[in-house]
Amino acid sequence: MRVLKLALLAGLSALAIGWGVAASTPYWFAPKQDRKVDIADPELIARGEYLARAGDCVACHTAPGGAPYAGGLGLQTPLGTIYATNITPDPETGIGSYDYGDFERAVRKGLRPDGVHLYPAMAFASYQVVSDADIEAMYAYFMSAVKPVAKQNQPTTIPWPASLRWPLAWWQLLFAQPRDFEAPQSDDPLVARGAYLVEGLAHCGACHTPRGLAYEEKALKDDGSGRFLSGSVLEGWYAKNLRNEDTGLVTWTEEELVTFLRTGRNKRTAAFGSMSDVVEHSLQYLGDDDLTAIARYLKSLPPRPGREQWKPKEDVTTAALRDGDFSAPGAMTYIEHCTACHRLDGKGAPEVYPALAGNSMVFADDPSSLIQVTLAGGRMPSTLGHSMAFTMPGFAHLSNADLAELMTFIRNGWGNHASAVTEADIARMRKEIAHKPVHYAPEAAQ
Amino acid sequence: MRKSFLIAGVALIAMAGSAAGWVATRAVPDAPPAASFAVLDAEKNEIGRYVVPADKDIFAQPNADEIIYGKRLLADTARLLPDNVGAAMNCNSCHLLDGKIDAANGYINTVNFYPRVMPRAGKEVDLETRINGCFQRSMNGRPLDREGREMKAMIAYMEWLRQGVAKEHRVDIVNAGPVDESLIPDPDNGKVIYAHKCAACHGVNGEGMRDQFGDIIFPPLWGDESFNIGAGLARTYKAAQFVKWAMPPAMQLDGQLGQGGVLTDQEAIDVSEYFTHMPRPDFAPKVNDWPNGNKPKDARY
Repeated sequence: MRVLKLALLAGLSALAIGWGVAASTPYWFAPKQDRKVDIADPELIARGEYLARAGDCVACHTAPGGAPYAGGLGLQTPLGTIYATNITPDPETGIGSYDYGDFERAVRKGLRPDGVHLYPAMAFASYQVVSDADIEAMYAYFMSAVKPVAKQNQPTTIPWPASLRWPLAWWQLLFAQPRDFEAPQSDDPLVARGAYLVEGLAHCGACHTPRGLAYEEKALKDDGSGRFLSGSVLEGWYAKNLRNEDTGLVTWTEEELVTFLRTGRNKRTAAFGSMSDVVEHSLQYLGDDDLTAIARYLKSLPPRPGREQWKPKEDVTTAALRDGDFSAPGAMTYIEHCTACHRLDGKGAPEVYPALAGNSMVFADDPSSLIQVTLAGGRMPSTLGHSMAFTMPGFAHLSNADLAELMTFIRNGWGNHASAVTEADIARMRKEIAHKPVHYAPEAAQ
Repeated sequence: MRKSFLIAGVALIAMAGSAAGWVATRAVPDAPPAASFAVLDAEKNEIGRYVVPADKDIFAQPNADEIIYGKRLLADTARLLPDNVGAAMNCNSCHLLDGKIDAANGYINTVNFYPRVMPRAGKEVDLETRINGCFQRSMNGRPLDREGREMKAMIAYMEWLRQGVAKEHRVDIVNAGPVDESLIPDPDNGKVIYAHKCAACHGVNGEGMRDQFGDIIFPPLWGDESFNIGAGLARTYKAAQFVKWAMPPAMQLDGQLGQGGVLTDQEAIDVSEYFTHMPRPDFAPKVNDWPNGNKPKDARY
């Protein structure tokens, strides 16, 4: 009985200390900056708009069909749904009452003016490296040029006690230690610029870097572990490996990458899923210099040991299919459902239908994206340069057995080589798609 | 005390058992039942259902090689039959996805549709004659040997595709959806629509797109390598039906090709007026068409 009492006491003390430390972080871990920003400066506002585009703030802080930046998009977590907040300058429901210090602390430190800690769904761990000058410009833009919208924030559906916010302070202490941007070693200033954008505002790692058990990104920069941007699965999409290695980007040229980032399509592949939104809302608006910087930096990410090369095997598929030999497992299903667009040579049609041959999404280590886009379909971004947003229709009407055989054929055709896709893989993805979250707060529930 | 342990144990085992049972009996999600079309008799009464067969089923047919050859000819006509095809077109350029789609010139009812009296010919036309009409008009080429291996193979594919639906019956699909033919075409607007909605595939100058072997991906819509003036597709309203319901592909997240549903009737008619009236090869035997009158209002000659 005495031991029990002691344990209880110890537990309560730990809890009290834990809470105390959390409550104190606004004073020492994330102290508020005091700075005046001329929010009426048109040049600053214009630069802030560009940077907000680069940060793709609009993607999460806008509900489908909703007013820009007024919040409402839901992010599914194992515990419940978190809704992105209203970041328009409305003084009551948005961030209109924020001074610069409040804004800076929310963006870079994940702390609200009332001392509440933000969920790491907000990419503050990445935004930490954004320069003061850039934060100031974005503050000017949000305060002066974004249209205020009166819309209450939607509470999360996470139940108590998981809904308590103070433990998030500990997450921040463990995984979001303050840091400044450190340019990678390179004589090329574009590589440094690319690293600054990729690590910071563009927060590519939020999807492309694997996460740990506590939802933390396993690397926030290229730290020598090789984990940064090495590919990750989110909501059933595999955000591909972006390192300059085998199933990453080693087969892509810098020019192909820039074209892809600007238009969501190139001779090799097409964007779909969340990447399509990133191109549509953010990347298409970036200047050539910044897109080239991003591409050059990604191409500079060294391969992990043993993963330098990816060589296609000999292509026997094109000749077989052109000669009418459809006897390989999966070949007839490919001929029936896929050749009309992806063609006998697996090369598709440049910038219209993506190639399957040599497309690293197709032979990625993790076939999740291939399976999901084949089951549910996908849509390219619509951009200023390419208004036709081509789709791939979903093929959920094909059986698991046919789809598994088909995808194994595609992953190993035309010189591709990768693991087989199983019927269980297809069944699992059907479940995942059936349980997709509704990504916005229904207006009626407000 | 011991009794309550016993009850707890039994309860635990029961829960574990039912959980295991639930996992074991839970259905593995798979494809929904195949979609089907009604089979209609002459009075339009439904007398059965038609399911579009999977191509894998061809392997089980006694004449599998012939059917596959026919399927390849329809898909890759210009490459495989260069002596008969003058245009840079394949049969499947208009008969989308091997003729398996509703409202995209399917082959499903083709065998059962012929022979019949056609107004353009002014007499009874059989299937071989109809196919050769396509070769001379849409393909701007030369007819196949009516008794040849190629003709027989194409018809064998269509025969397989009808899946035994009786000659006098029809699968409930249409060749093309309707457009409002009272609308007056505006080719100037058509030119603008072409640039925005068609040129990405068919080329800024209607030249189409070819692959690494020079084979057609997207056919030319005008010029020397397009269909000639005798083709059905050279007629504004007939082209508009296809354009509205079957073009462009890859626009929707469902449907076999994600096709259609982009243009209004007016837009489809405008863009069809524009591209059909661009320069294209003539068709000398046009003087024999519609010998008994009843020429449609969008006929080109």
